[in-house]
Amino acid sequence: MSTKEKLITHVMKDEPIGSRCKVTVVGVGMVGMASAVSILLKDLCDELALVDVMEDKLKGEVMDLQHGALFLKTHKIVGEKDYSATAHSKVVVVTAGARQQEGESRLNLVQRNVNIFKFIIPNIVKYSPHAILLVVSNPVDILTYVAWKLSGFPRHRVIGSGTNLDSARFRHIMGEKFHIHPSSCHGWIIGEHGDSSVPVWSGVNVAGVSLQHLHPKMGIEGDSENWKAVHKQVVDGAYDVIKLKGYTSWAIGMSVADLVESIMKNLHKVHPVSTLVKGMHGVKDEVFLSVPCVLGNSGLTDVINMTLKPEEEKHLVQSAETLWSVQKELTL
Amino acid sequence: MLVTWWYLYIAARRFADQTLRMASILQRLITPLFSGPPEPPRNKVTVVGVGQVGMACAISILLRDLADELALVDVVEDKLKGEMMDLQHGSLFLKTPKIVADKDYSVSANSRIVVVTAGVRQQEGESRLNLVQRNVNIFKHIVPQIVKYSPDCTIIVVSNPVDVLTYVTWKLSGLPQHRVIGSGTNLDSARFRFLMAEKLGIHPTSFSGWILGEHGDTSVPVWSGTNVAGVNLQRLNPDIGTDDDDENWMETHKMVVNSAYEVIRLKGYTNWAIGLSVADLTESLIRNMNRIHPVSTMVKDMYGISEEVYLSLPCVLNSGGVASVVNMTLTDEEVAQLQASANTLWDIQKDLQDI
Repeated sequence: MSTKEKLITHVMKDEPIGSRCKVTVVGVGMVGMASAVSILLKDLCDELALVDVMEDKLKGEVMDLQHGALFLKTHKIVGEKDYSATAHSKVVVVTAGARQQEGESRLNLVQRNVNIFKFIIPNIVKYSPHAILLVVSNPVDILTYVAWKLSGFPRHRVIGSGTNLDSARFRHIMGEKFHIHPSSCHGWIIGEHGDSSVPVWSGVNVAGVSLQHLHPKMGIEGDSENWKAVHKQVVDGAYDVIKLKGYTSWAIGMSVADLVESIMKNLHKVHPVSTLVKGMHGVKDEVFLSVPCVLGNSGLTDVINMTLKPEEEKHLVQSAETLWSVQKELTL
Repeated sequence: MLVTWWYLYIAARRFADQTLRMASILQRLITPLFSGPPEPPRNKVTVVGVGQVGMACAISILLRDLADELALVDVVEDKLKGEMMDLQHGSLFLKTPKIVADKDYSVSANSRIVVVTAGVRQQEGESRLNLVQRNVNIFKHIVPQIVKYSPDCTIIVVSNPVDVLTYVTWKLSGLPQHRVIGSGTNLDSARFRFLMAEKLGIHPTSFSGWILGEHGDTSVPVWSGTNVAGVNLQRLNPDIGTDDDDENWMETHKMVVNSAYEVIRLKGYTNWAIGLSVADLTESLIRNMNRIHPVSTMVKDMYGISEEVYLSLPCVLNSGGVASVVNMTLTDEEVAQLQASANTLWDIQKDLQDI
């Protein structure tokens, strides 16, 4: 009799059920691993699968996480080049693809990343046909559209991480200005995750007190407090960090875990994430842009109808047109 | 001429107006009730070194809500600032309201815990002991600065070779020995418990097993203590851990020793496991938990060791540092292995320059 048999008597006759809340992260670069570690440290899944094409790096990352298993509550961590390891995932986070170089805009990455997605998405769908896809790779709005088209999933199961991070950066800066924690500072940045994102000044508030009511010139010409600069800091945020440390990882990783938490725990929390906005706010094209959405375990079930100023709507329509002009050239 | 003065006057007035109104959203929104100097942090942690290990420690500490202030220190200024900004951008999702970073150690003032990860790391195939003198020179600069700004802190040394460098830190800091800890075999034991638990189909926390001694090639697995639910494995299999063992359990310990080399070979470095292990130690220290961890501490006069070396033994950790050491019942062979580790380490320590 082996030591294990002497120590432990197996009493269950049935097959073990396996994991019930599995998360897969595609791509083990800096963003993928930051997302993985944030998800693990928030105890969001009972199984984590990692996928990448670089086999040694993938195996090394899996081992390094497994060696920390004593300190975690996710008992199964696997990693394979083959997508069969991702089977039965509830949420699949896609971080794979090329990333912005110093000074490069997100839109430049498009075609390179579309080609990568043509391989990844069908593989994900094959093994987790009921999963919710969370797209992080940039340009996120276009790639969420691409993932939606390639997967054939209904639109409520394809979500782009969108301006969840931009809004977090905005609330951080706002928090610093007022010496208040970011979670008590409310502000929504919507639209494109990138250079043309839209700060909705009318919604910015603390404890329900609208800052625009206190300061009508907020964000426009003649604003003595120059709130536009705050928005610019958000837009430049990623470029600034990339210039200093070569890439961004922690903030996006935590933002992904925040979204995964709402989905896995069926929180019905409202987040600014990228979804299909055709027919909303005057957008006529089939594009994905960030608006406040309700997230739960079915996915993205509802959209909050923001009351936007005409300029803000015009801005969204322009973003949509820019995105559509890029999307229509893509071969999917 | 008069026109110029007039324009200057208008500009000055507009500036004055703006400055007065600049305070106004903040003033109109918020009424301060208490204005004194800001409270000093109560649970501040500093991480020295923002390489892969330092940042993994930082993110693990942040995501476990252990600190009310986090400071990062390094010599590479751009990387340091970039890492600080990236963490700050996530502050909405965290409960650590203040994250700061500077090349100057004044930013680390009033820390309760200082985690030292700075230094050079193992290249592929390189042993930890090879890094010694290079890292001693770096520590001669770092340690006095840490103590200058946080004279009451507890230092956790992570840089390798950790046992030697914990000794070096103790000497350079002048701190009492119970306030200088090496991350030691906390990680080796975690790896051991993971691998053993996998073989048995249980969670690592349900498998009790200790690896002591050197964090490295001569670590000592205490097979006589391995148990699940109090059932001693050595009693079930008296050959466990020896060459005579048909089941070859000693392979598990070999895998632990090779773990770091293997992960480095595959991904270039290790960081997640060590980061999680450091957060685990930090939790016991900051929350005053009196939990027992295998960490590197001064072992002179224990187990027949006569030199001033640091080795990992089971230590009770609380907010004062190492409160006590658990006297494990070791077999004669296990004691001999500890003594051999001590001798290896002392051989290296005695040749170190100016500490």
